[in-house]
Amino acid sequence: MDKETIEVLAKRAGLAKALTDFPEDVRVAATQAADVAQKIRRPADPKAEPWPPMKAGTTL
Amino acid sequence: MSELHWMTVGAAARAIAAKELSPVDLTKALLDRIDTLDPRLNAFIRVDGEAAMAAALAAETEAQSGRLRGPLHGVPVGIKDIIDVAGLPTTCHSKVLQDNMASADAVCVEKLRGAGAIVLGKLSTHEFAIGGPSFDLPWPPARNPWNTDHHPGGSSSGSGSGVAAGLFPMALGTDTGGSVRNPASCCGIVGLKPTYGLVSRRGVFPLSFTLDHVGPMTRTVADNALMLEAIAGHDPLDPGSAAASQGHYAAALDRGIRGLRVGFVRHFHEIDTPAHPEVTAALEHVARSLQVEGAEVRDIKLPSLGEFGAVNRVILQSEAWSIHGPWLGERPGDYGKLGRQRLMAGAFMSAGDYMLASRRRLQMIAEVEAAFREVDVLLCASSMDPACRIEDTAEVERTYPRQARTPFNVTGHPALAMMAGLSVGGLPVSVQFVGRYFDEATVFQVARAWERVAGTDKKHPPIV
Repeated sequence: MDKETIEVLAKRAGLAKALTDFPEDVRVAATQAADVAQKIRRPADPKAEPWPPMKAGTTL
Repeated sequence: MSELHWMTVGAAARAIAAKELSPVDLTKALLDRIDTLDPRLNAFIRVDGEAAMAAALAAETEAQSGRLRGPLHGVPVGIKDIIDVAGLPTTCHSKVLQDNMASADAVCVEKLRGAGAIVLGKLSTHEFAIGGPSFDLPWPPARNPWNTDHHPGGSSSGSGSGVAAGLFPMALGTDTGGSVRNPASCCGIVGLKPTYGLVSRRGVFPLSFTLDHVGPMTRTVADNALMLEAIAGHDPLDPGSAAASQGHYAAALDRGIRGLRVGFVRHFHEIDTPAHPEVTAALEHVARSLQVEGAEVRDIKLPSLGEFGAVNRVILQSEAWSIHGPWLGERPGDYGKLGRQRLMAGAFMSAGDYMLASRRRLQMIAEVEAAFREVDVLLCASSMDPACRIEDTAEVERTYPRQARTPFNVTGHPALAMMAGLSVGGLPVSVQFVGRYFDEATVFQVARAWERVAGTDKKHPPIV
C-alpha cells in the first residue's frame, strides 16, 4: 500500500490525529492489513455462506 | 499438609470442606507469597487483599458451620483484568480505561463466587488482550516464573505467571487467538479454551465478538475440569452463548485412553511452521506415550496454519477496529505502541476481506468436523518455541505468530494446552489437545492420561 493510499484510508477511517502524531504506527498497521486477505483461499462456490449464520429468534 | 501455595484447587477445597484447612490461612499464605514474589513477576495490576481476607473469613465461618457454597468453597482465584469484578476498575491494562469502574461481576466471576471462590485481584494482560508485551503502559508486563527474563506468554500473562508461580491455584483468562493457551504453554500450566459459547462473555471487555472465549487456567487437569464446571452454562443475555447444557467435565478423567482415536496434526509443526527441535521431540514423545497408554494415533491433515492465521487476523482485527475506532481516532496517544499498531490494522481491511474470511471460516469448520468423524481428539503443537526473552523485541515479534492455536478460535472447538516437557534451557515446551464441540470431557481425559505419564502436575518453576 503506498503512502498516499494509506493517508486517504486513514483519514476516511477517522485516524487524522493518529496520522499526525504516530505516522509510523499508522504505516505499520496498514502494512499488517495489506496482504493478509491474499492468504485466504476464495471459496470456489459462489453460494458459500459465512459464519456465523443468521439464527433468527434463537437468542435474546 | 503440603505447602499451601502448591495445593491444587481440588485438594484445598476438600481440606476446607473437611475443616482441615482454614480459608483464612490459605488466603493469607497466598497474599504473603504475592507480597514476596509479585514485585519480580508483575502478575497483578491490583491485589484486593482486604476484600479477599473478608471473603476468606466469611468462607471460614460458613465452612465451620457446614455450609459450603460450592465445589470451590474458600479457594482463591485471580481474574484477568479485562473481566469485570464489581467495585474494581477493569483497566484492560490500558490508560484508555484506567478508571473504568465495574459496577457488577462478569457472569464468569459471579459463577466462581457462587461456587465459593475468593477473588484475590486483577491480573496483567496485554493491552486490550492484544497489545503486548509492552513497556509503555501504566503497568509493567508480567514475567515468566521459570525465568523472569522471559515472556510468560499472553495475553493472559498475569494469569499464567501467577498460577505457575503458586500465587493462586486458578485464574480466569480469555482467548481470541490463543491467549489462554499461550501463557499456559510458556508457563507450563493447563489452559483451556472451551467450546465457543460454553462460557458466558457477558462482563468481559470484547476483543473480537466471534472469536472471544473465557477459559480456566490451573496447574492440573483435574482442577481445570473443576473450574470449567463452575463457569460453564448458558447465558440468555450473551448473544454468542450456546444452548448446550453444562457437562460433567471430570467424569472421564481417570478412565484411561485405551481405544481412543487420536489424530496427530503433524503438518502444523513439521511443514507449515517448522518447530524448534525440542518442541518436535516433545510432541513425538507425547504421541508415543499416548500409544503406549492404548490410544490409536494416526496422522490428520487440516488446512494450513498460514490460512487459519489469516482468517483469524482479518476477523479479529476487523471486529476489534469496530470497538476501538472511535478511541483510536480521538486519543491514539493513550494506547501503547503495540496496541495502537495492532488495533488500527482493522481500519485498513475491507468489508470484502471480512466476508471472505467469514465464508472461508465456515469451510474450515467443516474440514475440522470431517476430521472428527475419523478421530476422537486431535494432538498438535501449541507454541513452536519455548518462551523468548521478554525484552528482545525482534524475538518476540518472530516467535509470536509461530503457534497452532488460532485454528481453534476460528472453528470454536475446545482446545487445551499444557506442558509437554522442559527445554534444555529449563523452560516449558507444550502440547495441545483439541476435541469435538462440547466434548471437553474427552479432551480432559487425554490430557490427564499424558499428565499422569509425564508428571507435569508435579513440576514447578524454581522461583521461591
